[in-house]
Amino acid sequence: MSDSHDPRTGEPIPEMCADDKATMAAPNPPSDSGLSTISKATYFKEAALKNLFLVCACVAVAGVGLIFLFVGLKGWPIFAKVGIGEFLTGAKWYPTKGFFGILPLIVNSLLAMAGALVLGAPLAIGTAVFLSEVASPKVRELVRPAVELLAGIPSVVYGFFGLVLLRPIIAQLFGGLGFGLFTVWLILAVMILPTIAALTEDALRSVPEGIREASYAMGATKWQTIWRVLLPAAKIGIIDAIILGMGRAIGETMAVVMVAGNARVIPDGIFKPFLTLTTVIVMDMPYASGDHRTALFGVAIILFIISMLFVASIRVISRFGKGMS
Amino acid sequence: MIRRSTVCLAVAIAAVCLPGLSGCAKADVASQTSLTVTGSTTVLPIAEVAAEDFQAANPGKRVLVAGVGSSAGIESVANGTSDIGTSSRDLKPEEKSLGLIDTKIALDAIAVIVNPSNPVSGLTKAQVSDIFQGKITNWKQVGGPDLEIGLVNRDEASGTREAFSKFVLGTSDFDPTAAVLPGTGQVRSVVAQAAGAVGYISLGFVDSTVKALAVDGIPADEKTVADGTYPLWRTLHFFTKGEPKGLVRAYIDFVLSDKIQNTVVRDAGFLPITEGGK
Repeated sequence: MSDSHDPRTGEPIPEMCADDKATMAAPNPPSDSGLSTISKATYFKEAALKNLFLVCACVAVAGVGLIFLFVGLKGWPIFAKVGIGEFLTGAKWYPTKGFFGILPLIVNSLLAMAGALVLGAPLAIGTAVFLSEVASPKVRELVRPAVELLAGIPSVVYGFFGLVLLRPIIAQLFGGLGFGLFTVWLILAVMILPTIAALTEDALRSVPEGIREASYAMGATKWQTIWRVLLPAAKIGIIDAIILGMGRAIGETMAVVMVAGNARVIPDGIFKPFLTLTTVIVMDMPYASGDHRTALFGVAIILFIISMLFVASIRVISRFGKGMS
Repeated sequence: MIRRSTVCLAVAIAAVCLPGLSGCAKADVASQTSLTVTGSTTVLPIAEVAAEDFQAANPGKRVLVAGVGSSAGIESVANGTSDIGTSSRDLKPEEKSLGLIDTKIALDAIAVIVNPSNPVSGLTKAQVSDIFQGKITNWKQVGGPDLEIGLVNRDEASGTREAFSKFVLGTSDFDPTAAVLPGTGQVRSVVAQAAGAVGYISLGFVDSTVKALAVDGIPADEKTVADGTYPLWRTLHFFTKGEPKGLVRAYIDFVLSDKIQNTVVRDAGFLPITEGGK
């Protein structure tokens, strides 16, 4: 890809893409030979651009690499000290007293994620079906920006909303303090909705129009087409969307820390305070030192691994999906 | 996920670097144009605002204030890296031999607060202890309505938590199922909005949205704190190595002046030291 070619014909296209703004403002004189379609200056600019984009890509890779290295180096000693088994399965997280078990945190993170998914995924898929199959273009242009806007709200605003508005209402309706899984589920369900909805809508739209027409031609109703034809056809894309939603739910921190209540135990009810893998870092980092700080980096390693598992599973599922069709 | 990890990393880096920054505050100890005050985060609001006013009143003088915790403050004044070590606790037995002079600068009482709708108006210290250990879980066990108790605790970084734990729990642990909130304001607003909630905050932060309980029959107010009858109170200290002199003396006198005591100290939610009976 060192020089530009028209992707359709493979012919060099010197005029359209090979010029950047500078040459447009002050065009180079054509080369002396009159035969070459790409001037030397253009060639170097192309090469420079190529390397620029390579650097951009490398920054992203280096960022991931450095973070993983740093977190890994900082957190590794805790596995050596308390043992990886004890760290993962210990039932008590009380670092200032020498207990480094993150099992309650793992369980709580999974509980928070699962509930958010149960509430949020059907809502999101419903929204996507509505946008892709049901809504008139006019309605769609109204609903879609609203859904997209949900994704743009900073998570701390969700948390603040949850803490100040939602929590007191839940405290009044169900007793207790209003902190707990239930409150977190409601907030997270709304937060993962735009992620899942947007990707599900993409998946539905990529189902060829001919399949819809064939379904209708067979006498299927709209509902039958959506339920029996479109959703199964878009299955892989929808599963990807849900996994991305899971990643967002389990990694969410600011919104959760404000409404979870931060008790370091597995809660014995959905209206009882709890602490997750992400929120423990926010809560403990200001004062943690020594092994406690190391343990927090250990928690970060676990989070990193969980998120890598999500990304990997999306890749595997997508490949599997391609093999199928 | 990646972006979130980056944020965590940034926080982590900041947290790693901050203790390093406070180490910078050692400069110019000998020179009398600059003064270093380190220690308790509870005392920080007083020391910091007083430092600004002091610098405004004494052009050319600099007061560097850092909140690193009471123990670290005492350590740093003892080994000479700072001029004043601030503390929200008394000296421990092993610190008595360091030759530190104690100047008491303010009083802080800790109030046990409940929702105003809660008919319970007082508890014994033992009951408070049992409640925060999770042994008493319903208000009816202490003469209130049949209502589950919602425990609100502070995070472990809190000096208030440390003091409360020492006063009330002794060597016992807090109930781990209690909600843990990172600030006085949050504790107050949560207690104000949940009928069964109970928490503890500095007396200075108690307002009409919550009700401060009497402890052992003694109401929590300025008068009972001043005469020393209210059991949950502590003194905030400035420790100096030897008798304070020069700029150190001037700054301490400034903090003890009526002006600072009646504005800065009260604004920060504490009681002037002159109110103290002892």
